[in-house]
Amino acid sequence: MFDRRLILLATPRQIGVLDWRPGNMHWLGEYSASEAGLTAFRQLLLGHPNLPVLLVADTVDEDYRSEILPHVQGRARDELLERKLKQVFRNARFTGSWRQAREKLGRRDDRYLLATLTDGDWLVPWITLLHREQVPLYGITPMAMACQHLLARLKVPEQHVLLACRFSNGLRLSYYYDGLLRFSRLIGADTPNQLAGNAADEIAKTQLYLTGQRILPREARLHVLLLDTNGQLDSAQSALNADPAFSTRLVDLHSLTRALRIPEDFLAATPEIAPLAAIAGESLQLNLAPRELLRRHSEFRWRQGLNMAAGVVAAAGLTISAAYWLNAQGLHEQAVQLQAETRREELRHAAVVKDFPALTTRPDELGPTLALATQLSRMPLDFNALFEPLGQALAVNPQIVVKSLTLQESAEGMAEVTLDARLADFDGNYRAAMARIDNLVAQLAAAPGVTTVERVSSPVNTAPTATLSGKTLGEIAPEESHFTLSLQLRTSS
Amino acid sequence: MMQPPIASLKGSMLLLLVAVLLSAAGIFWSGKQDSGARAALQQQQTAFNAARARQQQGQTEARLIAQHLDAYHDLIARGFVGEENRLAWIEAVQLANRDARLYGLSYTLSPRAAAPAALASGLPLNQTRMVVKMPLLVETDLPRFVAALRARAPGVFRVDRCRLSRISDAPPQPINQPEIDAECELLWFTVAAGGQEAGK
Repeated sequence: MFDRRLILLATPRQIGVLDWRPGNMHWLGEYSASEAGLTAFRQLLLGHPNLPVLLVADTVDEDYRSEILPHVQGRARDELLERKLKQVFRNARFTGSWRQAREKLGRRDDRYLLATLTDGDWLVPWITLLHREQVPLYGITPMAMACQHLLARLKVPEQHVLLACRFSNGLRLSYYYDGLLRFSRLIGADTPNQLAGNAADEIAKTQLYLTGQRILPREARLHVLLLDTNGQLDSAQSALNADPAFSTRLVDLHSLTRALRIPEDFLAATPEIAPLAAIAGESLQLNLAPRELLRRHSEFRWRQGLNMAAGVVAAAGLTISAAYWLNAQGLHEQAVQLQAETRREELRHAAVVKDFPALTTRPDELGPTLALATQLSRMPLDFNALFEPLGQALAVNPQIVVKSLTLQESAEGMAEVTLDARLADFDGNYRAAMARIDNLVAQLAAAPGVTTVERVSSPVNTAPTATLSGKTLGEIAPEESHFTLSLQLRTSS
Repeated sequence: MMQPPIASLKGSMLLLLVAVLLSAAGIFWSGKQDSGARAALQQQQTAFNAARARQQQGQTEARLIAQHLDAYHDLIARGFVGEENRLAWIEAVQLANRDARLYGLSYTLSPRAAAPAALASGLPLNQTRMVVKMPLLVETDLPRFVAALRARAPGVFRVDRCRLSRISDAPPQPINQPEIDAECELLWFTVAAGGQEAGK
């Protein structure tokens, strides 16, 4: 849709219109260069508004020049070419240039093809009509350029090619070097020597002209392609092949339709469509239209770009909005499902807790409370277990008199016993008393369950750091044999 | 391409502007819808997680209640859970003394205090210290008394410390006369009920 365009084949006598879009085309007819033809053409344009238009001019009034110009770019190139076109073609209105290649040697200059329609007056009514109807004309190009694209479609490998096309307007001979147009001429249909046999002569003359102008090297062999769906050029092939300067090949309708991918009957009815179809989808290399004629197309391009941008923005906005909205709907549905799930969980919870008894504590503290009660109920002090080793030791030491006994839990599973005692028959012999106490300590330490036995106080403190005092006069009091022991025992619990 | 002919492109530029504005508005609105729905879903997810946790906790609590309720009621009946029952404790030590055929006792109950945290295991555990003084004939009277008290005790208690001291320095006599003074410190434990803190 966006690539649809009208291709006009303009000759001094008439104008043909091809409605082209990729993969599809229609021949809309021909309109003579008369008042009626112009009116009908206007009606056609009104029926096809806002379609870009390319005008392909097929006329004998054309001129081509190959020029080598210094390699410049930008505005300098534009000015250089403008000056050159004015210098070469004087005041011609329809002129154009095409930078074909860059020289490989020397200054590496640019090779240009300059072209013009030397007489463009016949085009003015058509151009005026296009301009009046605000048709976006995007170019005027010579027929030889359309034929160049046709040559490219035919995939001709030869370097020097002369394409001879016979259409209703006459015989067009175009010379291409490496597939690029160098020269073209049209021998009009109204020329007297338009007989089939004369085509070979015209080709030979053209070859001589090209050689003379040094457009074609002298030693070059010219490969001639004869394109004529009516078969009028068939006779020229044998005549040309007899000359070693030529190699000739006929391009039949079948190979042409295959190269262009268009129906054979369609092309047979209007052979002029072939070059138009070839150039329709291509970018324009040689444009002869003055700048002011292209303004409508510039507007058209800007408008088309803006409209496309608006469409893209709208489509992107719509897509993103739709994606967000759809995602939001999905999330909303999930939320509704979760809400129902939550409600179900709450109902389940309510059903469970409604049967709970009244408790003075939290349910999760029931177990720990019971465990704590069990733990606290275990007696850390097992008196029988504590008394047993003491009783056994005291039984074998009857001279020990216990004054007091303190029992206390010291750590988990351990008890501390503090034993206050004295000797029953102390006679002042501290050495003997200490020996008895040592004996008791040893027996206690060996008793089962006793882990440590420590002497807290003794009848006499012989430690070198202590102050020791006493007397040897008078009676000996039993209290002087007082001593204290501290024991650590393992309790059964 | 030539300079853009602004005047003749007003319509297209306006169209582009409208498209941009409408797209921006659409994206803004739908984005807001999306973020709102996302927040609502997040909120609902949180509510669902809480409800499921509550429901699972309820199941767990129901299991715990079924498992421990009877034993817990026993603890309440014994006086371990709830207010302290000093009268019962006093009666218990008196009866235990009589059961052990001892010679009477004196007691002192201290004010209730919070139990050490290491012992409480995170529960509001209180302890009340009771000092019992009683005369004994022989040392083995003490474990007999403790055993009798354990049989009589309505609550939970522990013997924290005991001191046995000979009343006189004379040698033991074969008569039924107490010769040992016993002083024991008992700790009576209670767990505060109804969410009260320990020590209150």
